[in-house]
Amino acid sequence: MLELMILLICVCILVSALLAVLLNNLLAAIVSGGLASLFASISFLLLAAPDVAMTEAAIGSGLATFIFLYALRKTGYWENRE
Amino acid sequence: MMQRVLSVIVIGLLAVVFTRIVGAYVQLDALRPLAASYVTLSPESLTTPNVITGILITYRGLDTLGEVAVLFMVAASLGLLLKPLEGQPKPPKAFQRSDPGEIVHSGKQVMFPMILTFGAYVIVNGHLSAGGGFQGGAIVAAGVMLLLIATPETRLNTTLLSIVESTAGILFVLLGILGIVLAGGFLDPRFLPAGELGGFISAGAIPLISALLGIKVGAELSVVIDKFRT
Amino acid sequence: MSELIGSLFIFSGSVFLFSAGLGLLRMPDAFTRIQTGTKATTMGATLVMIGLAIYHPDWIFKLLLIIYFVYVSNPISSHALARSGHRLGTPMAPGPDALAEIDTRSDAAGDKL
Repeated sequence: MLELMILLICVCILVSALLAVLLNNLLAAIVSGGLASLFASISFLLLAAPDVAMTEAAIGSGLATFIFLYALRKTGYWENRE
Repeated sequence: MMQRVLSVIVIGLLAVVFTRIVGAYVQLDALRPLAASYVTLSPESLTTPNVITGILITYRGLDTLGEVAVLFMVAASLGLLLKPLEGQPKPPKAFQRSDPGEIVHSGKQVMFPMILTFGAYVIVNGHLSAGGGFQGGAIVAAGVMLLLIATPETRLNTTLLSIVESTAGILFVLLGILGIVLAGGFLDPRFLPAGELGGFISAGAIPLISALLGIKVGAELSVVIDKFRT
Repeated sequence: MSELIGSLFIFSGSVFLFSAGLGLLRMPDAFTRIQTGTKATTMGATLVMIGLAIYHPDWIFKLLLIIYFVYVSNPISSHALARSGHRLGTPMAPGPDALAEIDTRSDAAGDKL
């Protein structure tokens, strides 16, 4: 049962990572990267490592996505859109 | 075209490598001798029931020192790269006004103290249950991130935060050297009295080291986030 | 007996969470999706926590704190998302736009946001 859940979450990590590479809309790609971090944090929790899960959730899907969005804003993506 | 073929070949080779590693995985039913010694020695000699904090701070303390140095290097190089040059045109006025509104402002006033308190709780209880310095520092930085989103005109005192971060780093190395002088080796926390197992004041100098790590990581990540604002 | 009540609460919470996922798939527009997502997930998370509190009565204080935090943070974040979506001009399903006269899409100087 536990292995089935871990396998399902690994498939979700792969799918969201593929989406992050293949999407054209940059905002959706950044959010997909954050989603992959979130699924990795859940799988750490299932493998009985709560410290690593906390760190990965705070840094991977919090701060990293935030910094990516700020970097996207600095390239002038939102200015040249319309 | 050539690029695509090459990338598919590289991904295929990586898949082969990972399948061999994962296929050779065998579930052990007893811990290896080194891990068993860490798990039994940690509650006895360090009096901390959280084995992970004991390993991170004492048994592999040099790795933590390396991580602290890498974080400092990253923050310093980001400060160098994102310094505003003279003569660069400022962005148009419309994009500077990114005020999210009154609801988020009021919500920030409720949530920011809660997040800071939770981060401090995770830092201080590092030696008792899951948590520790890095986790609490990341949570504090997430709280500062909320502050920067909700009121974009706040100005963080980055000089004070940099001074706090450097002082915490220096105190961390000083505690390590105190470990060499007074106890077994670098970052050995046994020079402060070890209370009973599970008490709040216990495990020697581990709460102090954990608190210093948390302050350093929190201040550092806050400075890094602040550098990205225009 | 208390385990049965706790399991019923957890089951109803999971029904709410499933309906949140279903709404995310079936709704026509970004704003309606945000609305279903927020309401259903907040309610579902609350019911699951209450069911867990019935299972383990000594965790009640921490679970109440978590429920309070979810109630404070979930609506605010969806409000921020919806408001920025409206500012960017996300395509809306056909119907009256109630925010159109308080048009936040261009600021005082007339620059398009």
